[in-house]
Amino acid sequence: MSDLDAELTDIFRDEAAERLDQMERALLAVESGDAAAESVDSLFRNAHTIKGAAGMLGLDDIRALAHAVEDVLAGVRDTGAFPPGLAAPLLRATTVLRAQVAGAQEPIDDLLRDLAASTAMLSPGEAGPPGARGAGAADTRLPDRDVREADPEADRPKAERRPLRVPAEKIDRLLDVVGEVMQYRGQLAHSLGGQVQLSPDVADVLTSGERMLDELKDTAIGMRTLPLAVITRRLPLAVRDLSVAAGKDIEFAVTGADTELDRVILESLYDQLAHLLRNAVIHGIESPAERSRAGKPARGRLEVRAVPRGSLVEIVVADDGRGVSAEVAEEASRDGSLADVLARPGYSTAAEVTDLAGRGVGLDAVKGYVQSMRGTFEVRSEPGRGMEVVLQLPLALALLDVLLFERGETVYGVPLTVAEQVVMVTRTLVLEGRPVLEVRGRLLPVADVADLVGARAPLLDDRPPALVIAAGGRRAVAMCDAVLGAEELVIKPLSPLFGGLDGYFGTAILGDGRIALLADPAMLTRRHRPATPMTATAEGRPAAPKVLVVEDSFTVRELQRSILEAAGYAVVTARHGRDALAALDRDTGIALVLTDLEMPELDGLELTRAIRAAGTRSSLPVVIVTSRGSEDDMRKGVEAGADAYMTKEGFDQQALLATVERLVGR
Amino acid sequence: MSVYVRLRVGSEAYAMPVEHVREVVGLGEVAVVPGSRPEMLGVRNLRGQILPVVDLALLLGIDVTAPPTRLLVAEAGGRAAGFAIDAVSEVGELQDPTEEAESDLLIGATLAGGDLIGLIDVPRVFDSLEGRGSERSGR
Repeated sequence: MSDLDAELTDIFRDEAAERLDQMERALLAVESGDAAAESVDSLFRNAHTIKGAAGMLGLDDIRALAHAVEDVLAGVRDTGAFPPGLAAPLLRATTVLRAQVAGAQEPIDDLLRDLAASTAMLSPGEAGPPGARGAGAADTRLPDRDVREADPEADRPKAERRPLRVPAEKIDRLLDVVGEVMQYRGQLAHSLGGQVQLSPDVADVLTSGERMLDELKDTAIGMRTLPLAVITRRLPLAVRDLSVAAGKDIEFAVTGADTELDRVILESLYDQLAHLLRNAVIHGIESPAERSRAGKPARGRLEVRAVPRGSLVEIVVADDGRGVSAEVAEEASRDGSLADVLARPGYSTAAEVTDLAGRGVGLDAVKGYVQSMRGTFEVRSEPGRGMEVVLQLPLALALLDVLLFERGETVYGVPLTVAEQVVMVTRTLVLEGRPVLEVRGRLLPVADVADLVGARAPLLDDRPPALVIAAGGRRAVAMCDAVLGAEELVIKPLSPLFGGLDGYFGTAILGDGRIALLADPAMLTRRHRPATPMTATAEGRPAAPKVLVVEDSFTVRELQRSILEAAGYAVVTARHGRDALAALDRDTGIALVLTDLEMPELDGLELTRAIRAAGTRSSLPVVIVTSRGSEDDMRKGVEAGADAYMTKEGFDQQALLATVERLVGR
Repeated sequence: MSVYVRLRVGSEAYAMPVEHVREVVGLGEVAVVPGSRPEMLGVRNLRGQILPVVDLALLLGIDVTAPPTRLLVAEAGGRAAGFAIDAVSEVGELQDPTEEAESDLLIGATLAGGDLIGLIDVPRVFDSLEGRGSERSGR
């Protein structure tokens, strides 16, 4: 093939794909019964143009198929009626045409026969028997000139919009240079920051330079981006085919298709969207009968929505189907988010086996994709009410909003999207031998950034600042020396000479010329094991004695539970004395009671007395753990009948375990 | 005869083919990259380029008493790195290697003015660093 032919074929492919998009949209409208009157004309025109161009390029199968489509459409024009049943064979034809245009070689004879036969759906008097029309008959009937006259604007916008082909590397290089200029701007701002007042002239020049640089940056990014429509055009047909196959009735809509995204992100986004839509059609949206029974409209709704949010784009796949099961919703509220539960690797298999509607099929792959693009992933769902999967993706890959922080001599950064909040660490607890911090009622592992990345650094402050980071389905708190703030940075990969060192996704130069290491969020949330392991473990122990923990503070209760469970005990809990007595009535296997003093309903002293007073369990060991540490308090506790008394202040878990162990006689 | 940049690391003399040497600058401020192998001193901002910095003494197994002060910026096959060294002594012609080197990071060795000079094979040094992996992934 000559260069000219190759170039023409490329142009033909672009054009034919666009025309096929238009045809599919029109045919889907015909099928659902809301086709506009002029859609036959535009369908015909598109088929006709594809046929003509394919003929010129010697693409005979495409020409023949487009011709057959044209024949059917000519029949529609003549009879003035477009039976919705005709849309299906025509859609099959556009699908095959698309494959052929993309270079696939598929036999088309059967399809040609089907198309010819489908004309029988048109009123017999007008259409004539299949095959009666010879090649070129449609041309005679409707010469090119007529078509153009029918819509003189048809081809004009196309010609004006014909894109300039520029190799991607050139655009990347442009963006690189823009990034470097931005670095210089940052350095300039930093150097000028320390100077005395600038003269108004100089300040003006700098401000306009700044503005133009921003515009240059946006334009350069714009050259790397494409509208979401590039990949969503094919979705309506895919959803329709799936719905038909699955016996569902679904109204599908795409909004915000003109939202622009980095082409690298777009390339792989299609598969993820297709996956989410497949989940929604097959598992999410119920059959029309089931929906009617549930009091919902028989026709399900499925939507892809794109909304730009600053330097991010939010893409939402929403359906009004059955949502997650109640068990999954409960599991999510118990340990983390819905996204965490549904994207757990291996989750899909379990869900498919036990409950087809369990959803979450392959969400780990979607999550992996989003993370590799340095975005975030969220799932919202209410059982019975539908589901929304939200992907937040960066607008451009080379630039990123980064939260910067310092530890030792080093500046680190994480994508702003994974940093949930900045906290001051005032008091940490120890859970399963690991330090944890309570953040908004949740106990999160907390660690020094230096330990997480393997750096040497001086001791942290008494009350160090820390970032709450959510990544890889985990949340963790990373302590540092100082949080420096957020900045939009040009990301450069770490040199390959570091031998594929993991833990960093790149580096960036800051305004003051220093280098920030951009930490992989997963490195900061992974489980950090302190050097001294727990002395007591669950291994090698026989039956687990059961301990009742009575405590009104959730944090302390869970802390004690974890300590005891890690040491091999079974734990039941109660929130106050009355609760505890009920638990003792229910469960005679309880071997020891660990109780707080101050509690609502029935306090620890009363509880101890009540236990001692009851005949059957009067010898049950009771340990009081309290913040009241005076001698008088301790005496009262012992008088009430407690076997041991420990204070929360200077709480020592080894001492607690030793006491419990002594009392249950292990 | 080829042109080499001659340099000192501790008490030993080495040379690097001039076509691989971009420039020699002060060591500057090097940001440590935690988790990397010990011979990787870190990264340095050289006029907007983020350059990996390699401890040449440690790489070649040379004992040194004083910390390096200069940075020799080398390039090969699209890769670049700064080698931390003590000093560049001169640029000039050297005999092609006459002696076989023990290290696979050297092209060979040659004699000049009574000194045995190791000739550094820049592309192989880069390959070797890339292939070494990191402390973190190597564990």
